[in-house]
Amino acid sequence: MTNTDSKAMQSGYASKKKAVNTLVYIILTVMVLIWIFPIVYLVMQSFRGEPGISTSYLIPKQWTFDNYIRLFVETDPKTGAVLPMDEMRFPYLRWILNTLLVAVLSCVISTLIILMVSYALSRLRFKSRKMLLNMGLILGMFPGFMSMAAVYAIMEIFGLKQQLIALVIVYSAGAGLGYQVAKGFFDTIPRSLDEAAKIDGATRNQIFWVIILPLSKPIIVYTALTTFIGPWTDYIFVSYFMKDNKDNWTVALGLWNMLGNQTMADWFTVFCAGAVLIAIPITILFVIMQRFYVAGVTGGAVKG
Amino acid sequence: MDYLDYVQMTTGQKIAYKFKSFFTGIPVAIKKFFLAIGMLIKKFFNFIGNGFKGYGSRFVKGDIGTKLSYIVMGAGNMFHKQIGKGLCFLAAQCAYIYFMISFGMNYFQKIYSTDVEVEPGVIVNGAIGKVPVHKTTNMFGIEEIDNLDTLDDSNRILLFFVMTVIVSVVFFVLYIANTKSAYASGEEIKNGKKPIGFIDELKTYLDERFHVTLLTVPIVLLFLFTILPILFTIFMAFTNYDEKHQPPGNMYWWTGVTNFQDVFYSDPMKSATFGKILVWTLVWAVFATFTNYIFGMILALLINKKEIKFKSFWRTMFVVTAAVPQFVTLLLMRLMLDDKGAFNNMIIALGGSSIPFLTDCTCARITVIIVNMWVGVPYTMLITSGLLMNIPEDLYESARIDGANAFQQFTKITFPYIFFVTTPYLITTFVGNINNFNVIYFLTGGGPSPAEYYQAGQTDLLVTWLYKLTVVSSDFNLAAVIGIIVFIICATGSLITFNMSKAAKNEEEFS
Amino acid sequence: MVSKTKRAAALVLTAMIAASALAGCSGGGGSSSKTTTSGSTSGTTSGSSAAEVSAVDLDSAEMKKNITDAIKKEANGGVIKLKVWCSGDDLQFEKSRIEKFKEKYKDAGVEFKITPVGVGEDSAGGKIKESPKDGADVFSFADDQLSVLVEAKAIAKVGDIFQGNVVAENTKDSVEVCSSGGTPYAFPKTSDNGYFLYYDKRIFKDESEVANMDDMIKKANENGKQVYLNITNGWYNAGFYFAAGVKIEYKDGKQTTTFDSPEGVKAVKAMCHLAESEDKGFIGTGGSAGDNPTVSQGFNEQKFAAAVIGTWMGPAIKKAIGEENVGAAKLPTVLMDGKQEQLHSFGGYKIIGVNAFTKCPVTSQALAYFLGSPDSQIERYKERGLIPTSNKALEDEKVKADPALKAIEAQKPYAHAQGQSVGGVYWASNVGGFGGEIVAAKGKMDDAKIKKSLADLQTQTNK
Repeated sequence: MTNTDSKAMQSGYASKKKAVNTLVYIILTVMVLIWIFPIVYLVMQSFRGEPGISTSYLIPKQWTFDNYIRLFVETDPKTGAVLPMDEMRFPYLRWILNTLLVAVLSCVISTLIILMVSYALSRLRFKSRKMLLNMGLILGMFPGFMSMAAVYAIMEIFGLKQQLIALVIVYSAGAGLGYQVAKGFFDTIPRSLDEAAKIDGATRNQIFWVIILPLSKPIIVYTALTTFIGPWTDYIFVSYFMKDNKDNWTVALGLWNMLGNQTMADWFTVFCAGAVLIAIPITILFVIMQRFYVAGVTGGAVKG
Repeated sequence: MDYLDYVQMTTGQKIAYKFKSFFTGIPVAIKKFFLAIGMLIKKFFNFIGNGFKGYGSRFVKGDIGTKLSYIVMGAGNMFHKQIGKGLCFLAAQCAYIYFMISFGMNYFQKIYSTDVEVEPGVIVNGAIGKVPVHKTTNMFGIEEIDNLDTLDDSNRILLFFVMTVIVSVVFFVLYIANTKSAYASGEEIKNGKKPIGFIDELKTYLDERFHVTLLTVPIVLLFLFTILPILFTIFMAFTNYDEKHQPPGNMYWWTGVTNFQDVFYSDPMKSATFGKILVWTLVWAVFATFTNYIFGMILALLINKKEIKFKSFWRTMFVVTAAVPQFVTLLLMRLMLDDKGAFNNMIIALGGSSIPFLTDCTCARITVIIVNMWVGVPYTMLITSGLLMNIPEDLYESARIDGANAFQQFTKITFPYIFFVTTPYLITTFVGNINNFNVIYFLTGGGPSPAEYYQAGQTDLLVTWLYKLTVVSSDFNLAAVIGIIVFIICATGSLITFNMSKAAKNEEEFS
Repeated sequence: MVSKTKRAAALVLTAMIAASALAGCSGGGGSSSKTTTSGSTSGTTSGSSAAEVSAVDLDSAEMKKNITDAIKKEANGGVIKLKVWCSGDDLQFEKSRIEKFKEKYKDAGVEFKITPVGVGEDSAGGKIKESPKDGADVFSFADDQLSVLVEAKAIAKVGDIFQGNVVAENTKDSVEVCSSGGTPYAFPKTSDNGYFLYYDKRIFKDESEVANMDDMIKKANENGKQVYLNITNGWYNAGFYFAAGVKIEYKDGKQTTTFDSPEGVKAVKAMCHLAESEDKGFIGTGGSAGDNPTVSQGFNEQKFAAAVIGTWMGPAIKKAIGEENVGAAKLPTVLMDGKQEQLHSFGGYKIIGVNAFTKCPVTSQALAYFLGSPDSQIERYKERGLIPTSNKALEDEKVKADPALKAIEAQKPYAHAQGQSVGGVYWASNVGGFGGEIVAAKGKMDDAKIKKSLADLQTQTNK
């Protein structure tokens, strides 16, 4: 092969490469457009001034910010007076606060539980370990909502019926089964660390708190964020557990109720506005989480 | 074929071989699985037999304190100067006795009540609960339930019964531990050693027995909020708890395996519906899993292509879609995909004819699979991206030196690496898709629903059918049967595949 | 205990008779001695029939005292705590009525804590059934859910002292739908839960132009508009089966239907005929959004010329096309087996029930009666525009002139009472889903498929 040949090939190679890259950019752009379309549609609907449910056009004919205002301020249809939160039909702010409370509490509890369980199953060796691993695997396969009625009855016994704390318990009690990802992560931390600490006379308790946890920042952030996001998007459980107790609804159930047969035509755009508002913080969390998700999951989920 | 043969193969052959061995391995794995279950059962009975033997021999060999601990828990430990531990055991026994007398016994009696007049003139044996609703008419001619606080609600009776059984099992384990502990400390005294003190023993829970400390709370929570409800639901499958037998107004009673018979053969409509939904559930799970997997991987490859700029921007754009709650996006899509929705209006405006996205069986099934890609691809993309970063760059470097083009690099390095690392992930997603509730429920609601389906539609999965059975038609017993079947399918399937997959072996190597 | 109740009952009933004699109210007939026995039989076996109790003047001093005493007795620590479910739109109004109720029985000297909660009337019954103890004490619901509630034994029978008045004050049909198997279970509230035809007067000049579905579709299509009738919903498409002569009956907790018959085929063919015009002057499905939003949107975008729907959409339609353009009429005829047949319908009522597991049965029933009383009904019409069931309220000039009421009256001979026709089994079946198939196929469905589907429906709905 002569020198010129190689040069020609190289320039041919470069232009081919450029063409390929352009193609990739085009494909990516098209795919992003497809993926982002429903979200853009949602945002546009939330600014729509004209009435009715979903439209066949994307850009609103009348732009308005009213839908967002209606989430927080409701007026009496007759007198025009601003209603206090207790009398609002859709007290969005209260639902946001409820959800925030439930999310924070269940996030703290579940994260703790997940870390404890996955640490024990990953780095400690004891007799029933294998059995617990298998049990955890199969228990997670029971359709969760199948036993909702029983859980509801149990809450009743504890006097927690239709209480926010019951939701916290529901969301975090099953956390023990979500150990896979975190366990996978712990598996990748070299065991020599434990051994060295043990020689220095540290107990397993100390090893857990002093050595392992500081190394586990990605998985802690990942676990905390996923458990925090859960309550914002769950509809099935909360609708079963809160029933007609509107004061204790979370935002997902509240929004869903705007779409009742009687209210949908009036409230659809407000529903969209409400959905956009909760999507914003979650989006931010997701972007932050992305990094940890990759770090946690590649060490974790894929390795069982 | 031995190792040498394997090494000499080309990469393509290696992959083909691994594929082949993965799938041909399945029957063997199934056989192994059932053998293992057999072994497990055998082990279990051995365990019980040995338990009895040990129980007896400890009683014979132990000293007076140990013997006493067979009746009064903790007596042995106290006799052996382990006062703290002994008191704990004693407290547990007292608590259990109190629990049984004040609460538990009642439900053992009521779980199978005979001669209950559930309705005027209808007498039932095997009712769950003894006291049906009793009404009196007051002076206004208004009926009042006069046993509002004492009537038996079948649901509560069943639930409390399960609870009592669980408490009893836990107590039994404690009881055996008590006799063992008494015997062990007795032996130590016999051998001239001092049994471990209470404080020192507590300290072991921070070290040798740290796993107990870590796992107790999660396991208690699991028992209370997962296992107890699951057992409760399993029992429900053997009753006639349906629309016509709903507590607290009505009672329900044990009916044996009739519900299972209905689902499998005796009720033509239910069993036909079950068969069709089962097949579709499996087809769906296969398609949903692999479409997501393949497209997610392609997307990740595109984004992670070396020359592509703004990688995190592209990734973020896809991840954003996951941030809006699924019920919102799916509902929007449902409206857009409607026969008269935005998409069809657009198609008609462009001169096409409308597509029955959600109202025709085949179209609806394709639609849910495609929409599921919209939902799931970003996740697969993220995971695969992470893996791609993990592949050592020098592998590609040397491949390039060997003259491999991009496609060859993919087939020889990237794909094998990702595929074999993500096998367990694939299995979990597969099971996840069998139980994928959101996409179906919020997008099609199971429809279209022709007349031959019992309480279901053509895109319904077993789980969404189950949900409809409980919420719409109140066939709680039938729903429980479906739940058990779903559970058995998923559990067997994933236990088999997990145990034959590489990851399980790796994990053991690691330990 | 029993004898004491008996004595008290006899006493009250004597008072009742005396009071009714004084007030000169005429009841639904039946002898008073019979009432005494039925009132005092205890246990679940008593089966007092609706028509046999006479009206009572509940406002007479003696009766009022008896009820007040009973309320006082039910109070727990001087507090009566009740939950009331009503439609979210009616919350403010019902609240005002509840205040009136408190005022009426303020002599009881108890603190009333009565909270109205907005729960859709279309789902309230189902929610009570799901867990009666968490449900409202007094709840307003659409009459199609009555059978389910009775089956679950979650709804209380109407007390004898109220039933006489209910019978005397309300139309016969409305009283009938409130009972199941001859036993009264609920208080009539409004008579507008059925459906009829709303049309745009700019397209159809008068009632003669909305008499025939085929002509309507043709005319609508010429004007680039559509006629809406949701045949993918078992509530609306039942009208076709009824019109063809299919038997759909619900009695003593048992659903019987004869879908699998020549009449059934006739009905399906009629639906198919309409579905052929889908998008060409006819719309047969509410799609994912459901009926109300679809109708509201259809009129808003000036796409609908007529729609089969009920009064609850009246305000929205008026707002969309202007009050002067809104016409209401009975349902049109449809082409069935070569002949034009009048389309039937479900006549529907919103009714008020009392939870069987309430801790305050007397107070709850008194409240339920109060909310369904003629006064409340007139007020409700004035405030909310909901068509009353009370004879007195229907005499009101303004009510009489209501076009919706006229349409309901005209449709009445072809309207079927839901409580006697359909139970939970019917709603859980795929009657609606089959309609969906018809629309999706644009009416092109072969006979074998029709036959098979009807047979399946019959299996599903005979239980």
